[in-house]
Amino acid sequence: MTQRSAWGTGLAAVALCLVVVLLGLCAGSSGLDTLGRALLDASASDGAQATARQILWEIRLPRTLGALAAGALLGLAGALAQGLFRNPLADPFLLGSASGASLGVALALAFAGGAVWGAGESRVWVHLGLTGAAFLGAVLAVALTLLLSRGVQHTLRLLLAGVVVGVVLGACSSLVLVLQPALLQTMQGFLLGSTSLIAWPACVLMLLVWVFCASIAWALGRFLDALSLGQATARSLGLASPGLRGLLIAVLALATATAVAQTGLIAFVGLAAPHLVRATVRVSHRQLVWLASAAGALLLAGSDLLARSVLAPQDLPVGLLTAVLGGGYLLWLMRRGAPGNTV
Amino acid sequence: MERQSSALHAHALDVRAGDCWILQQLDVRLHAGRWTSVVGPNGAGKSTLLRALAGLLPLHGQVTLLDRAWETWGMAERARALAWLGQGERASDDLCAYDLVMLGRLPYQGWFGSPDAQDRAAVENALRATQSWDWRSRALAELSGGERQRVLLARALAVQSQVLLLDEPLAHLDPPHQADLLQVLRALVQQGRTVVSVLHEISFALQADQMLVMAQGRVLHQGACADSATHQALVQVFENRLAIHALAGQWVALPCTPA
Amino acid sequence: MPGCAPARCACLPYRTWIGMCFLVLALALLAGSHAARAFEVRDARGETLRLEQAPQRIVSLLPSLTETVCALQQCQRLVGVDRYSNFPATVRSLPQVGGGMDPDVEAIVSLHPDLVLVPLSSRAALRLGSLGLRLFALEPQTHDELRDAFLKIGELLALPQAGARWDALDAEVLSAAAAVPPRLRGARVYFEASEGLYGAGAASFLGSTLERLGLRNILPPEMGAFPHVNPEYVVRANPDLILLAQDNAHNLAQRPGWSRLRALRLQQVCAFGPADFDAMVRPGPRLGEGARAIVACLRGLAP
Repeated sequence: MTQRSAWGTGLAAVALCLVVVLLGLCAGSSGLDTLGRALLDASASDGAQATARQILWEIRLPRTLGALAAGALLGLAGALAQGLFRNPLADPFLLGSASGASLGVALALAFAGGAVWGAGESRVWVHLGLTGAAFLGAVLAVALTLLLSRGVQHTLRLLLAGVVVGVVLGACSSLVLVLQPALLQTMQGFLLGSTSLIAWPACVLMLLVWVFCASIAWALGRFLDALSLGQATARSLGLASPGLRGLLIAVLALATATAVAQTGLIAFVGLAAPHLVRATVRVSHRQLVWLASAAGALLLAGSDLLARSVLAPQDLPVGLLTAVLGGGYLLWLMRRGAPGNTV
Repeated sequence: MERQSSALHAHALDVRAGDCWILQQLDVRLHAGRWTSVVGPNGAGKSTLLRALAGLLPLHGQVTLLDRAWETWGMAERARALAWLGQGERASDDLCAYDLVMLGRLPYQGWFGSPDAQDRAAVENALRATQSWDWRSRALAELSGGERQRVLLARALAVQSQVLLLDEPLAHLDPPHQADLLQVLRALVQQGRTVVSVLHEISFALQADQMLVMAQGRVLHQGACADSATHQALVQVFENRLAIHALAGQWVALPCTPA
Repeated sequence: MPGCAPARCACLPYRTWIGMCFLVLALALLAGSHAARAFEVRDARGETLRLEQAPQRIVSLLPSLTETVCALQQCQRLVGVDRYSNFPATVRSLPQVGGGMDPDVEAIVSLHPDLVLVPLSSRAALRLGSLGLRLFALEPQTHDELRDAFLKIGELLALPQAGARWDALDAEVLSAAAAVPPRLRGARVYFEASEGLYGAGAASFLGSTLERLGLRNILPPEMGAFPHVNPEYVVRANPDLILLAQDNAHNLAQRPGWSRLRALRLQQVCAFGPADFDAMVRPGPRLGEGARAIVACLRGLAP
């Protein structure tokens, strides 16, 4: 019985994703009718046609797909965090990756300075520059947390180390900003969660990373289920706990760092996605991996759609809408008292 | 008993948890096809012994499991041969009873495997044995303490292992279910499996075949439950605050004030 | 070019002269257009922008650059501005395409600009560039950088009078400096750029203006452009003048230790309204206006 509901929910989620992609092509600074007319009308000028084509295929489509991919990464990371730490309040940024990304960006800007922007020949390095710095910062922060907690065995120590690393690295990036206040605006611009700058390379990269991480997480889904019985029981069932936990934490770090590097810090998606799934249908971790990805993808892409259309042509910050949408839906579910709801 | 018939034999076992040595130089022999109960006052190291024998704590010493040295057992192999049920286990409230018991079949499934007919049969047997079959699709959050304990027990039974290590399996159970479970354990032993249980209720512990009396990290006595020597050791370890009586063909232990 | 001599010349038949005229005319036109084609300008990133003709549709993502374009009388070439551009009033009716840090990529693309003026530190510049838009990055922070930016934009827009225009704007500062009351020449000044005691240091644009007005900044260049100042430092430095925005001017005396400051005792505090404040702080062509606003206030202070 649980199988059927999970499949049904999954199919519904995929259908919704397709709807979101279609809507994504419509929403933006000009409506689909204007663009459609420009594309289909033979008498329209070449320039207008080219612009319309560019807007649809090079701006709106990668932005929508990128929002889906980033949301999927964050949803997956949230499900992993909550499963690994057996804590319904865990989110992907638990192990200090958010502060790590901030510090990475701050240091890159402080040391590379103009080189990050200039040097037209090495566009790749420039692009790698800030996104790569954010990625590295996030990953290294998690590594530092693992080092501090001396392994992955003790959950409480891991969580405490994550909090400490988060606070300390946050203080370090504040220090960098104090010493070089000119960086503040740039940093804020980079870190403020935003889906508006996702191009095709970023989109494809995120999709590939998501497929990789989701496959590993799906394979280890049983382990996560067994973990819910306690680490000792999982070990007694033959699952080598430390190695597998370490692998899952690595996957968590990879997924979070990739999403943060491309879209900045978007709160609440990772926290809310698994809860949205659990409030709708009862699933084991194997199914949760896919459904939480879908929930996160829909949440972020839906927020992105609204961000573009509510006050068009203005663009609202997407983090605002994820909190409103995700939080609102969760509140409604709690009030309704959905079956199998443990929130 | 000859060495060949011991399911688990530990010699000079030292177990450390954290910085202190909890078990020192233990010599334990658990007979195959028998039910051994481990008793002792609080802090005697009973749970630690079980955890160590389940491979959850680092062991120092010589241990053989089913006539093979401990080191020759792979982790998955050992998980199929030995099932452990911890004390006061928590479980995610989200899982339904059936799924939780199915987790007990993990040692038989690979990473990508799905449950097959054998797994499903094992799960059904385990659930029926603990009278939990009727509410197998209810989530754990909806079950009472006793029902939850029965589901956890079913999980351990589903492993269908040769050796069962159970720590306080009767917790939260009311008398009818306690009696039922003891019957299940006895049936398992009759099939040839080895059961080791830590039981707080001495009367139930006395229903086993063998008894291991522990105190302060050491084994004081190991022998048949019906033996008077065992009874003496038991009374001694509880500081003479226990009296063992025969009642309706069973041994019953009752607390008493020292004379 | 040689005139087309009538058939009075005996050397060559007049058809040949007409042919030569046309040839020379064609060559001259060719040379002229070649000079007009493909001119290159380097932006603040060091990137060279090659243009065939002066851009006619410009999107500006930095308020100071918007003002610069308008100061060169080319406001009509602007098709889109960022949300912070508010001067002159005509730009407020232009489509707003987000901020400098977070521009609306789609809106910019649909405006078909042939030049986008971006700030130096914008991540979005990469995205806009990858969509094929032509970018020019400038972010003037000092008077010299502003002059550079002014002249570069003049070059981009093919305006030979840019240099003269800049000289005129610069001269406004000099004339304002001449109007500073004698007793306040060389006075020590503290300019509070933002709430929370962020002062305008000597290294900032505003600091340069104050220096050219002959005022001494209590915040030395080593402290940076907009340092977060310890209030104790201001008390120790005891400036003669305090300049700040009207919004932050209330209860200055309540700040600990500040009631004894010379500037407060002698009522030598200048609070500026938002329009004037913008003109002063923004590194744009209204530097003369900002300087004049400061001097006007100084002249209004009781002796």
